[in-house]
Amino acid sequence: MHEIRIAEDLSAIVLDTALSKNLSKVTKVNIIFGQLIQIVPSIFEFAFRETVRNSVAENAELDIEIVPVKMKCMNCGSDFQVKENLFACNICSSTDLDIIQGKELFIKSIEGEQLWK
Amino acid sequence: MEIKIMKNILDRNQDKANEVRNLLLLKKVLMVNIISSPGAGKTTLLERTCEAMGAEFRIGVIEGDITTDRDAQRLKKYNIPIVVINTEGGCHLDSHSISKVLDSFDLDNLDVLFVENVGNLICPSQFDLGESFKMAIVSTTEGDDKPGKYPMLFREAIAVLLNKIDLIPYTNFNFESFSSDLKKINSQIPLFEISCTRGDGLTEWYRWITDQINISRL
Repeated sequence: MHEIRIAEDLSAIVLDTALSKNLSKVTKVNIIFGQLIQIVPSIFEFAFRETVRNSVAENAELDIEIVPVKMKCMNCGSDFQVKENLFACNICSSTDLDIIQGKELFIKSIEGEQLWK
Repeated sequence: MEIKIMKNILDRNQDKANEVRNLLLLKKVLMVNIISSPGAGKTTLLERTCEAMGAEFRIGVIEGDITTDRDAQRLKKYNIPIVVINTEGGCHLDSHSISKVLDSFDLDNLDVLFVENVGNLICPSQFDLGESFKMAIVSTTEGDDKPGKYPMLFREAIAVLLNKIDLIPYTNFNFESFSSDLKKINSQIPLFEISCTRGDGLTEWYRWITDQINISRL
């Protein structure tokens, strides 16, 4: 259910940006979610639709890219993708790891049509 | 046309969380964000903790509840400052709601502030409240599969309390499987095996949280 709150904050950023850039219409919103955030895209899409109703972004397409969890091993320095929640280095088995990808809640860009000035 | 934005969607929450964290650091107050499913034993743990540590430390509590102040009522008898945040359907607390209620506490006369988050294992782990750390409580009656299903929480938390260990004989809870899943996600995390009703393991928990409070006072 955290989808609702995240959708609200996303639509605030989208609408602020549209206003400051004089967009008459937002056609696409490009976002990245990390796998660890456990967002359900269909619920997120539903929540986003509600928050942009009757605005310049009401018909915007949502492009959600979900990125896998990646770690950096603090022991041997290798980067690897986590599989099946096993948080251990696949080279040296160390568990001293930094998450380098997988917690993203990121807006990349929006696309739209600008008002004629 | 495409407009590059490149920012964290929850920046607004993060900025406020940083503000809260700085204020609590300045006031040397430890803030513990307690996350669990509904019914895992958050309030009972706070009851036991107030009984055992209330004389030594100045404890405050923020009760996050979807509705009602029942948890707060249970803690009233300990004579500690308690503020209830009703989220009215919201499944987690956020840094703005915490910041708003901090004014109700006399932070100069507080050692530790326990935040009882809304019972939920996913949503609260995404929202930084400005806490010193997150802590997870799991109860044996929920099953042994929680770390594998909710890796973000068990990665973010710095301690796990396994409650209701006295009920293990009546459930199919497999301790080895629970503990090995947890270690795969967070190998160094301390695990306290407790029973809040019978008292098992609570001395170790009191000792650990006392150390954390003392560190934050330095």
